[in-house]
Amino acid sequence: MTRFSTKIKATLAAAAVATGVSAPQAMAEGMEFQTVTDLLHLVMSSDRTVYTRMIVNRLAVQEGVIKASEHFVDDKALVLPAQMFRFGSELVAESTDEFSYSLLSLWPINKQNAPTTDLEKEGLEYIADNPGENFYGEEELGGVTYFTAVYPDVAVAEACYACHNDHKDSPRTDFQAGDVMGGVVIRIPMDS
Amino acid sequence: MTRTRILWIVWVLGTLFVATLFANKLFFAGNRTAVLPGQTAGAHHQIEVSCDTCHTSGPFASAKKIKKDINKTCVTCHKEELAAADDSHPLKKFTNPRMASYWEKVDGRFCTTCHAEHQPEITSPAMVTLQGDFCVACHSEGDQDIRKDRASHADLTFDTCASSGCHNYHDNRALYEDFLVKHAGAPWVAASPVHPTEALAHSYTPVSADQIETYLASIDAPADVVPAPAPAVDLAVDLNEITHDWAASSHAAADVNCSGCHAPEAETQAEIDEQWTDLVTEATCASCHKDQMRSFSTGKHGMRRHPKIAKPRSAKDALKFLGVKKPSKELQAEVAKYLNDPTNPGVMTPDEALIHLNPEAAHNSLTCATCHTPHRQDTQRAAVEACTTCHVDDHTRAYFDSPHYDLWQAELAGDLPAGSGVTCATCHMPKSESRDKVVTDHNQTATLRPNEKMIRPVCQACHSLGFAIDALADDALIQNNFSGQPSAHIPSIDWALDRVEPPTQGANQ
Repeated sequence: MTRFSTKIKATLAAAAVATGVSAPQAMAEGMEFQTVTDLLHLVMSSDRTVYTRMIVNRLAVQEGVIKASEHFVDDKALVLPAQMFRFGSELVAESTDEFSYSLLSLWPINKQNAPTTDLEKEGLEYIADNPGENFYGEEELGGVTYFTAVYPDVAVAEACYACHNDHKDSPRTDFQAGDVMGGVVIRIPMDS
Repeated sequence: MTRTRILWIVWVLGTLFVATLFANKLFFAGNRTAVLPGQTAGAHHQIEVSCDTCHTSGPFASAKKIKKDINKTCVTCHKEELAAADDSHPLKKFTNPRMASYWEKVDGRFCTTCHAEHQPEITSPAMVTLQGDFCVACHSEGDQDIRKDRASHADLTFDTCASSGCHNYHDNRALYEDFLVKHAGAPWVAASPVHPTEALAHSYTPVSADQIETYLASIDAPADVVPAPAPAVDLAVDLNEITHDWAASSHAAADVNCSGCHAPEAETQAEIDEQWTDLVTEATCASCHKDQMRSFSTGKHGMRRHPKIAKPRSAKDALKFLGVKKPSKELQAEVAKYLNDPTNPGVMTPDEALIHLNPEAAHNSLTCATCHTPHRQDTQRAAVEACTTCHVDDHTRAYFDSPHYDLWQAELAGDLPAGSGVTCATCHMPKSESRDKVVTDHNQTATLRPNEKMIRPVCQACHSLGFAIDALADDALIQNNFSGQPSAHIPSIDWALDRVEPPTQGANQ
């Protein structure tokens, strides 16, 4: 049972075309769960990199014209890249429970983003120890079995590691460019 | 047939008859108070006869669906408030399957986990039906153990998180750590305390008697200003006063004349004569004052007007269900009369309130004109006098001996600038400015659920954050309407400062 619901197959096929990935599986009866999470992650990480490099790093770090702040309303500032990612995932969760995703780390500034399941912990440790590799597994949560994929989240700009190294709540302060700072976890329920 | 058998038949028929009457009320229409499983909490008692407002699932729905449906209805009324609060524990934070282990502790996906209804025996303030130390469920283990994460919290008990003036489950806009640091160290009251938006609202120049006369003479008064049909009572003297009051008001400035409110649909003089009414309804006010009406319908004063409150169940639908395809209007009216559905409940009156209010005002109905003088531009009445018509508790009575009242009197006397005075409305119905317009929040409960909501829009205009936190956590000080200084100090700002500027060893000793 490694086929993804056909409901959003077409959407994903379109997404695959848009991101330049050839996805012959999309035309077949169904897609491997892993193909689906790989494609979803490609879109997520591309958007995330664009926002971090072209908005936050450019305006807040290089040009210094505006701050990026966790309290973006009170501070009239840019939304932090991690918040941008979370708000997107919350919006997705309002529309569908066919997949869910989150940005986690073994060294989170916000304790909520520490791993909560055994598989999350295993996956985050695996991607930290094996740079460039992804982690895939299955787990049961709340009575439902999920296909869970963990992808490395890499420091793509100075804004990432500078902020994490300086923040008073950061458990780790020696991040460098290109380091795996955490991971994107994508889940698809396998039972439906 | 034996006597016993006959008695059995009579008993069964009688039981069925009574059960039918009962089921009738439950499933078709009529007063369902008899089946209320326990009084509702807080302000919900105002709408508790409109069961369908919260109980939207169809008959025989699964328990799972019923739970989901009920929880959806909470946010039909409370959504905006939660969004504005920048909710610290929004439902969406808990829906991700990675939170499954938390669902067994406190299931944050549902409002009803903490706010169960119809449970008066276990309901605490803010309609919380969990034990006061509920934070312990998620913040006492592993990475989330707050006692390990914050040295200052090592010896604190979990029943003090929300009761100490430090944290709220939903709204921490004035309590979050960086905010505490940002606003630390200010003097308890500003050198020249003025609420800027109140100042803006109070700074209009009164219209002189000459200006009024000139204006009245310049308009086509007789036909338009004075109502054509003879009023039901002799208003000859009052009419003159009314026209003068009106001429000095914003209504006149905006070309809203008598017929604008008393015959709002009329366009010609004949239509004005025909449609004129002495009793202007709320709907007429609301046709222009939309923002005010919207916030009014989310507070305790006006919640019975909320558009999402279930409408009465229709007799027509009940008859259709019973197989009467095209019921005549007479039959519908008869059935409706017989079923006597009390929804929607009428306008709220003080005698229905659960708190002690002035018995002399028991039957006042709460509409726009209850607090606002309809013809005269007089927000002073709506700011204090109208409130004290009904509210006679210690806090209200103590207001007239409080420093806030003295400031208001000084402002009225012209001794202090506009916005210096503090009225009931300053704190309970704060004004905000948006696109050059000042709007008063007519949800008078908005800054009280919990009272730390008052800090940013109200207190901080004149007071330091530290003083405001201390004062709002001091029940005795609230009762005497802030005559004096807080009796205890909440250390949250000090603790937050310690984390950004750790004191050097022994500096405090």
